[in-house]
Amino acid sequence: QEFRFGPCRVQGVALQELREAFWTVKDTVQAKDNITSVRLLRKEVLQDVSDAESCYLIRALLKFYLNTVFKNYLDEAADVRIRRSFSTLANNFFVIASKLQPSEDEMFSISESARRRFLLFQRAFKQLDIQAAQTKAFGEVDILLTWMEKFYEF
Amino acid sequence: HIAEDTSDLLQYVKFQSSNFENILTWDSGLESAPDVVYSVEYKTYGKKEWLAKEGCQRITRKSCNLTTETGNHTEHYYARVTAVSAGGRSATKMTDRFSSMQQTTIKPPDVTCIPKVRSIQMIVHPTSTPIHAEDGHLLTLEDIFQDLFYRLELQVNHTYQMHLGGKQRDYEFIGLSPDTEFLGTITISVPNFFKESAPYVCRVKTLPDRTWT
Repeated sequence: QEFRFGPCRVQGVALQELREAFWTVKDTVQAKDNITSVRLLRKEVLQDVSDAESCYLIRALLKFYLNTVFKNYLDEAADVRIRRSFSTLANNFFVIASKLQPSEDEMFSISESARRRFLLFQRAFKQLDIQAAQTKAFGEVDILLTWMEKFYEF
Repeated sequence: HIAEDTSDLLQYVKFQSSNFENILTWDSGLESAPDVVYSVEYKTYGKKEWLAKEGCQRITRKSCNLTTETGNHTEHYYARVTAVSAGGRSATKMTDRFSSMQQTTIKPPDVTCIPKVRSIQMIVHPTSTPIHAEDGHLLTLEDIFQDLFYRLELQVNHTYQMHLGGKQRDYEFIGLSPDTEFLGTITISVPNFFKESAPYVCRVKTLPDRTWT
């Protein structure tokens, strides 16, 4: 079992474990997000991502989740189930992100396209109050995992 | 102003999904609520508008089929119900965020069990769903779930079972005694979404061996 984001390979991460971690808190976390008319990880961000782009995009997304979403969310996550699920996700996101080495000599247009997609996500995030945005981003981890599954070899 | 408690009008608004047949159900807190009517709306997560579900406006039953409206298995949805009593009291409640891919349960597979003299063949038929591919054909469960596989078990006697499994649809348990009854159970498993169907069960008897008669 491994992730294959184009040239980037990541082994040693069980996608099912991530899903299980999120599944246990899905309804609790998503119920805290009452902005039903905004979706951060929308189609324009994740649809039809080429293999070559995927490594750039997943690395940017995971770094953002680690540095901006998970980093501050922990204080608010008093519920022990959420904290456990949270650390499983954060630890595995860290492992994946640290193993991603997108090639330097890839065509500029590829990395630029990935960057534009990421900026769509980041801009939508910044348009919300920070706490609402973190809650929404955490509640969309299932969308992220479903997209990541396309690059997963069972 | 003290908000009136209308929780007795409406409770447990949720999706019940099986093989991507998505039914919205709810309950009323009252023993009987003959004079209450219900209206259903739904929306795609991320969109602004709530859409009224035709055919589920001012109804008295407590369910509504939203399979078509929630038919994109890669999308997430919400639905909400508004209950209005004859006396003019009303209540509105929304579902949790719904993803059919994550929340649908899997029904038992459709299987043909074919007894032979010393073996039993089992052919699993593909399970189609109400979900349309871009070219219009109906997707099967196998199309949707990458890691779907079948688990087959043959109960030989009280203490001994035979096991087969995999992604293919044609299986054969071999080396069996002729003219003997066996119990076969076949389930569908989707580990990545922690799904396992109830078993399809077939009781079959191998054919008598007539070679020397």
